[in-house]
Amino acid sequence: MINMDNIPWCEKYRTKSFEDIQGQELAVDKVRFFLRSFPKKKAVILHGAPGTGKTSLAYAIAYETDSEILELNASDLRNKEKIAAIIGPASRQKSLFNKSKIILVDEVDGVSAIKDRGGLGELLSLLEKSAFPVIITANDIWQKKFNLLRQKSEVVGLKEVDYKIILGILNEVCEKENCAVSGDILTSISIRARGDIRAAINDLQILSKMDSPELMKEVGERNKEQSIFSALQFVFKNSKIDDAMIKVFDEVNMPLDEIFLWIEENIPLEYSGAELVKAYDALSLADVFRGRIQRQRYWRFMVYEYFLLGAGVASVKKYNRAGWTGYKKPSRILKIWLQNQRAMKKKTICIKYAKVCHISIKTAMKDFLLLKIILENSKIREQMRLSSEEIDYLEK
Amino acid sequence: MSVGFDSEVWTEKYRPKKFEDMVGQVEIIKRVKALTNSLNIPHLLFAGPAGTGKSTLALIIVKTLFGESWRENYLELNASDERGIDVIRQKVKDFARTKAIGDVPFKIIFLDEADALTREAQQALRRTMENYTSTCRFVMSCNYSSKILDPIQSRAVVFRFQLLEKKDIKRRVDLISDGEGLSITADAFDVLYEASEGDCRRVINLLQATASISPNITPDLVNTIVSKAKPSDIKIVLDYALSGDFVSSREKLLDIMLKESISGQDVIKAIQKEVWNLPIDNSLKVKLTEKTGEAEFRLVEGSDEFIQLEALLAGFILAGEGGIKEKKIGDI
Repeated sequence: MINMDNIPWCEKYRTKSFEDIQGQELAVDKVRFFLRSFPKKKAVILHGAPGTGKTSLAYAIAYETDSEILELNASDLRNKEKIAAIIGPASRQKSLFNKSKIILVDEVDGVSAIKDRGGLGELLSLLEKSAFPVIITANDIWQKKFNLLRQKSEVVGLKEVDYKIILGILNEVCEKENCAVSGDILTSISIRARGDIRAAINDLQILSKMDSPELMKEVGERNKEQSIFSALQFVFKNSKIDDAMIKVFDEVNMPLDEIFLWIEENIPLEYSGAELVKAYDALSLADVFRGRIQRQRYWRFMVYEYFLLGAGVASVKKYNRAGWTGYKKPSRILKIWLQNQRAMKKKTICIKYAKVCHISIKTAMKDFLLLKIILENSKIREQMRLSSEEIDYLEK
Repeated sequence: MSVGFDSEVWTEKYRPKKFEDMVGQVEIIKRVKALTNSLNIPHLLFAGPAGTGKSTLALIIVKTLFGESWRENYLELNASDERGIDVIRQKVKDFARTKAIGDVPFKIIFLDEADALTREAQQALRRTMENYTSTCRFVMSCNYSSKILDPIQSRAVVFRFQLLEKKDIKRRVDLISDGEGLSITADAFDVLYEASEGDCRRVINLLQATASISPNITPDLVNTIVSKAKPSDIKIVLDYALSGDFVSSREKLLDIMLKESISGQDVIKAIQKEVWNLPIDNSLKVKLTEKTGEAEFRLVEGSDEFIQLEALLAGFILAGEGGIKEKKIGDI
């Protein structure tokens, strides 16, 4: 009995039909054309980066044509004899149950010109003799040794899958496996997979087995920055205001207040002169709307806040920007925190002084330079019961 | 803890303790004294600039009303430090729960800098005032009464404090210099007064700081202290901006704001004053003042002061470039 738990998810959730295959519409159409015109050309070459769905597409072809698959790996293409033995007879007979057949030669670019001498030649002669469609998959089909093979086959390229599609697939898998992984992490996996669906699903499976929240957080954190960086790039490099610009921060898993700080920090890295002024003007207006939301609790203002922050800041330039900019993390909050740490003693001194002198702590802080001189009087220090740390701070 | 009474901080040591000791605000003092003596004062609102005697008058009221036991019957809250109305309400509740000690049937709550409270907090305060009116009277102080909600103003008797006159402040300074054995030249007093903009508390602080160096107060000595106590110049920030160096300009600004603990509104006030001293065309000064006004408006409306100040600095950069251009045209 097969234990489903032991099957890798990338196999378990391999697509069945053409309809299931996402993000490769063009390739599927070409394959349909190939099947309709068979046997004008005997073979179809599916090529593309790993994990883009070549093997899945081959199995989908079998599913759609109700055929059975005869599979050959690169390692099986060792030599003439072996191929002839396996493929030779099979390709000329119908199967037992009168099902048609499809011959799948997986990963043909694994064939070595020297070691597997004759392998390619045999494959070519197979195409001649075969009564059934031959599907060949490869990562890189443009090598010289495949020239003849290309001529005799329909060539179908599979493109790298968009991360949004991968994200959708991961979400489906999560749902079926009943595992809860946060959206941040799924997005991160999808982006890092760089178009490789299999890698993404593998990553997800590994991650779901780990119960280390630290790592989950770490992955999430990385994603957060990645997405803000790409959003910043989008805002600062593009001059066109389109649908994508209006939704530019939707993918960023960060509160709008934090996005404010990122934009604020990085405006001078991209803009200068009149553009700088206009960009800060947009930011300033966005902040005015934020203030109104806070005071009036009128949340619809958020629409304008968001718009000004993205489209407003983007629209100050006439042309698209080229080049790469190393965006900086916001530093203001950190500076404020550091200063507060340093000023802790100052604050406690002011609290004591304010209480004695019937003024606010704020006023005392503001007058601190003057108070410092008055507080040189040791009698006053004693009366105010300043601690030795506080006195040290004053002496500095 | 009876620190307040014999404090060596002169603003406390020489704080007037009786109505008769106060200088200026003659009419107000007359009326408040009459109310206090009748042992039934209403809620009071003192409006006026800093250092004109608002807190002092409030303290005199409680000391007159309660005598020795004034500390038990008096709660002082500073709204600019405790902005949350919940904190204030809780403290008011705790304080008002017990009956006043002595003959007076109520206690006094002094709510200093009440204009720092948000509108919502003021709305809540209004009910709090009503709920505890039998046990507590509120004395509130503020700089601008316009920032206090009408319903609160209508529940209180409003007194408007004027800036102290030079001769009034002179009387206090003379009293202190007698008590401390100082000698002050007339010029030195002028410098003290000018540097304090009529704020009596600041005059006394300056005087004490100066006297910590020498009992012979001269104009030079006062000036030394004044420049020592002056916050870093906002002008440096503007100079950077006008020269086109935005990043240094904003860095310096944040630096000053953090180190000197000054608010965005103080910064914008300083910028507004500084614009007229800048070495630029008058027409440009007008434009920059207009920009500053818009920035101050947005600062009040917005949520992050620093962003508004940055936007203003960016405007100064363009003005700097424009100014140079205009000069070039003039040269031709």
